[in-house]
Amino acid sequence: MMIRAPKSNLILGLVMVIFAAILLSLWIPLDTQTGLVEKIRRQVVIGDALAPTVAALFLLIGGGLLVVVDRTADGQPKPSLRGLGFTASLIAVICISLVVMRHAGPLSVWLINTLHGDTLEYRLLRDSAPWKYIGYLLGGTLMISGMIALVEGRIRIRAVLVALLAVLIMIALYDLPFKDLLLPPNGDV
Amino acid sequence: MMGTLDYIWMGVLAVFQGPELFSLFGLPVSATLLMILAGFLVGIAVGATPGLAGPIAMAIALPILISVFGYTPDALLPVMGFLIGVMKGATIGGAVPAILFNTPGTPDAFMTTLDGYPMTKRGKAQKALRVAHFSSASGDTFSDIVLFVCAPFLAIMVEAYLDLPEKTALLILSLSFIAAVIGGSAAKGLISTGLGLLAAYVGTGEDFYPRLSLDSPMLAQGFPITTAVLGVLIIGAVLKELEDLWRTKQARGTIAPHRDTGDQRLHWADIRRLLPVIGRSALIGTCIGALPGIGSTLAATLGYSVGRSHYARTKRPDAPEFGKGAAEGIAATEAANSSVSGANLIPVLSLGIPGNAAAVFLILAAESIGGFNPGPSVFRFTADAVNPELVIAFGLFTAMMIANVLNWTIGGLFMRSMGIMIHIPKHILLPCVLLLTLTAIYVQETRMEVIWFALGFGVLGYLMRVVAISPLPFVIAFILGGKLEETTRQAFAATGSDPWFLINRPVAAAFILLSVLVILYSARKPKAKS
Repeated sequence: MMIRAPKSNLILGLVMVIFAAILLSLWIPLDTQTGLVEKIRRQVVIGDALAPTVAALFLLIGGGLLVVVDRTADGQPKPSLRGLGFTASLIAVICISLVVMRHAGPLSVWLINTLHGDTLEYRLLRDSAPWKYIGYLLGGTLMISGMIALVEGRIRIRAVLVALLAVLIMIALYDLPFKDLLLPPNGDV
Repeated sequence: MMGTLDYIWMGVLAVFQGPELFSLFGLPVSATLLMILAGFLVGIAVGATPGLAGPIAMAIALPILISVFGYTPDALLPVMGFLIGVMKGATIGGAVPAILFNTPGTPDAFMTTLDGYPMTKRGKAQKALRVAHFSSASGDTFSDIVLFVCAPFLAIMVEAYLDLPEKTALLILSLSFIAAVIGGSAAKGLISTGLGLLAAYVGTGEDFYPRLSLDSPMLAQGFPITTAVLGVLIIGAVLKELEDLWRTKQARGTIAPHRDTGDQRLHWADIRRLLPVIGRSALIGTCIGALPGIGSTLAATLGYSVGRSHYARTKRPDAPEFGKGAAEGIAATEAANSSVSGANLIPVLSLGIPGNAAAVFLILAAESIGGFNPGPSVFRFTADAVNPELVIAFGLFTAMMIANVLNWTIGGLFMRSMGIMIHIPKHILLPCVLLLTLTAIYVQETRMEVIWFALGFGVLGYLMRVVAISPLPFVIAFILGGKLEETTRQAFAATGSDPWFLINRPVAAAFILLSVLVILYSARKPKAKS
């Protein structure tokens, strides 16, 4: 299903005009403490709302021009819903991989503790091998192989091996030579 | 007492006698020199690989380089030397897939495909690559000479004639130029600029309350610059490229091997014929590059258009038309887009305003390492004490010249051997690039939330590409947003809270008028898609 080409600029323009209106009437007034200009110690100074208001005006004028002038322009983009759906699945794979990346290390420590009755803490192990690699290795491999599988339309062992190799190279590139670089998620767990 | 020549000499020495990497036969080898060479070779390789471009290499390399060289002033020249090498290498490398396989790696190289690929189909691929290399290196040399000669004088003029209101107006003019000339239409350029400004203003401001933060502690700190820039520019591009690959997968044909026939050398007669085309394009590219905020895509388009109209009047009857395999078409494009790189450093160094993605990364490096703030103070020729920023600036010019020599000597050879890069499957390469980029962002900021921000900006970059909005105005507006607000506040205060400070001074008023005219003209006139 395709959005009809002559309408894409019109839709985009309207979305931008509505977004700019929400910005100007709700978000900026409600989410900034100082107005466009302020009087401080008998001196008028620029407030925090002015700059975002200028940004909103850019959006308003841009959206307005799309609606008024470029509405019937030639060569408008034709976004396809199937394409958007594919990218949404790519993003879903990335998000799942990031969740795995974030939690795989702590989860493996919890598993070891449960199975062996240890009292290890991931926070204390996060800069020592092999713990520091677990999340990155699993999450990274899942991310790359999942994306390759989506484009190819099938899951192949070759994709997993390529992904594993790529992640190992990245570990070698970022982690092994540098003491002060932390692979995700080891900086904030 | 320090003079101009002393500064130039110190800049040259800073490159050749900078931090020593190792010694060879008892002679110290400067880290900066090796980094320029490494950057140049990496640049050609990524430029020659479809789907990759200079900014990707810069994004991945920046945290590694900073980790190797640290946050000291000594790190500036090796890191920036590498980035300059990548910028120059990627510019000439970008012509390889455009000529051999009709797949431009970057928008700058799109026009190169128009004549390059037809030449390849006629069995003249090696000759087309030689034309591209010669034109690119010539345009680059011209631009570097202009940078060396003009940048200090222009910067001094900027300092002498532009006060705070004029600088504010100039920033507005730059943003208007970017909005008007980059991307499909002025309206979409304005939207991209507006979104960039908006993102820059989240969580910042002068009040204790972090504005536009929606009461979220994550948003209260604002978006880190690398997150927004890499997200929109690189993750967005990776997502869009993967979608395009997926959509064309069914209809994808195999690449037929090409076979070169006949004479592939570039003769003096060819060079004599190409030189006027190269000269015109180099001039156009240099002028475009020297203007704040305007990038190489416009230069390539303009260079090609001017070359085409001139060629139509002077061409021999038996010569191919522009767009059908004319060597002049390749020369016009490559000379124009390459000549932007040198001149582009003029607004970057003197005003802190980037014109293309490569310049954005130079500013990112300066911000990350510290000790160098692009702006008018860089070119302050202090006589009594050394201005270290000026030494760095002349060091950068020296790095540009060294990269230029590499371009002439090994550039062509390396470029022609890089055709092999086309065989790396893009659908395997791009997911790896995505993880590499996310890792590069994380190792700089070490917070998981920056990865989520980067992914969010990546989705924004993807959506912008889907609806044909160029992400470059977004990136440049994001970088300039804080500077624009700060200069406006200072100008307002300095003029005694005069609300009309932008229009009651002649130079500022002229800039503002020009901004309005640029937008109105672009909105009125339909433009060719870049």
